[in-house]
Amino acid sequence: MCCGIFFKTMILKPQLQDLKNIGYYTGKIIIGIGLTMLVPAVIGLLFAEINPALDFLIATEITLIIGLILTRVCFTEKDLNWMQGMIVVSLSWLAAMLIGAIPLYLSGHWGCYLDACFDVMSGLTTTGLTLVQDLDHLSYAHNLWRHFTPFIGGQGIVVIALCFFIKGVSGAFKMYVGEARDERVLPNVISTSRFIWLVSIVYLILSTLVLGTVGIANGMKPVNAFFHGACIFMAAFDTAGFAPQSQNILYYHSLLFEVITIVIMLLGAMNFNLHYHLWTGNRREIWRNIETRMLCITIVVIFLITLIGLNQVGSYPRALIMFRKGFYQVISAHTTTGYMTIYARQFINDWGDLALAGLICAMAFGGGTCSTAGGIKALRLGIIVKALQQDLKRIISPEPAIVEQRLHHLKEIFLEDKQVRAALIITLAYLALYGVGALVGMFYGYAFLDSLFESTSAAANVGLSCGITTPGMPAGLKLTYIVQMWAGRLEFMSVFTLIGFFIAAIKGK
Amino acid sequence: MKIKSLYNAVFGIATEVLYALTIILAAFLICVAAYFLKL
Repeated sequence: MCCGIFFKTMILKPQLQDLKNIGYYTGKIIIGIGLTMLVPAVIGLLFAEINPALDFLIATEITLIIGLILTRVCFTEKDLNWMQGMIVVSLSWLAAMLIGAIPLYLSGHWGCYLDACFDVMSGLTTTGLTLVQDLDHLSYAHNLWRHFTPFIGGQGIVVIALCFFIKGVSGAFKMYVGEARDERVLPNVISTSRFIWLVSIVYLILSTLVLGTVGIANGMKPVNAFFHGACIFMAAFDTAGFAPQSQNILYYHSLLFEVITIVIMLLGAMNFNLHYHLWTGNRREIWRNIETRMLCITIVVIFLITLIGLNQVGSYPRALIMFRKGFYQVISAHTTTGYMTIYARQFINDWGDLALAGLICAMAFGGGTCSTAGGIKALRLGIIVKALQQDLKRIISPEPAIVEQRLHHLKEIFLEDKQVRAALIITLAYLALYGVGALVGMFYGYAFLDSLFESTSAAANVGLSCGITTPGMPAGLKLTYIVQMWAGRLEFMSVFTLIGFFIAAIKGK
Repeated sequence: MKIKSLYNAVFGIATEVLYALTIILAAFLICVAAYFLKL
């Protein structure tokens, strides 16, 4: 018998102080979300849209009342611990969905409140799947809110709160990590949050000017062109895939517009830490970083697979059409944006199984860590590939040899087992999430490949659709995709903590 | 100091856009090659 001592972990029931801390900080974030809804309200007033502006004012009022009650009832001066920080994050995202859906539901363009919640979660998690009806006649205010949700969620709801509403809290880092951002750009997490916003605002101004000018050159009215430019930027940089018109990017019929959105999508899929290094003079980093290299390799390999698949079925025989239809969808999938230059059913009717499988791989892999992109992420794939290389070297090396593996991510790093373990756990969790969603889709009677495509799109926060996501789809499937988008965006840890918290509340001692 | 920061930021943005354009160019060349080689 082993002489080791075994401890059975005792689950502790949450204390009143835990609830107060969680309630207080969630309340603060809810107030922040309420204040952001003033932006579409002002836009509504500027465009003389009185009813839409009122929708947002009503929603803001409800939100502020809830937030103020929470901060008053749960007032505390104590800092957050890890468990509380994680729970605040996961609860804040659910609260943002429920609150953000109020003005959308009031507009009458969503069939039910669940549909409005679906679209808000889709926006906040930068997915881009939508259940809106008659999008082409939606007000400017509501359309702006649809595109503003990815801008809030992509940078992070907590990141906004850290910038503007929560100051000098040592528990800030715990919430920041809970939002799937395990890398700090600057030593101070609040400075990091501000840098993330600086990059986003600079690109917002530049891209709106460029896209607006292209829109005017294509015959759009200046106000419309710049409004569309801002909306398209917010959804492209935040890898969301919403568009102001139901035809998505196809509406613009412009090669230049498509090339510019590809550039913005790639910028959005880049690590904010990498942006910092490049913006502070370390320009070689872009060619040396394992993430950007991995992204290049996987994009090219997956595009080749997709291209062969598309040529097998003869969908796009000309080179330029292949670029605009084939490559655009691949880059949109790989950066987890979800912009489309084809109609949803064309994936099933025109693409063939091999091309569709290539696209599913692109969606599953995703963009860079600490970016607005979803999916497994290029860094994790890079770490797994390096670990495989290390094992192969070990096998072919003489036995006493010590095999070290290095990788370059902002600095030279020696590969350690704990990095490989962490990368594999998250990768497996994503694969399980893709699989579970596909099973639910099949349960509701959809074909395997269609279900896997839509499930991967939801869980990796992509937003490409092969036609399953419609207002008429079963409510159970809508709920499944909402959970997939939420868990995929937060990269599981804070969601697992919330589940653990509820278990502790029931079973704890 | 501020001018140097601005210079770095501008060239940082240019590097990022260049990276994206390199991928786009590579993809377009693949499309052209596939067309001529009948892949």
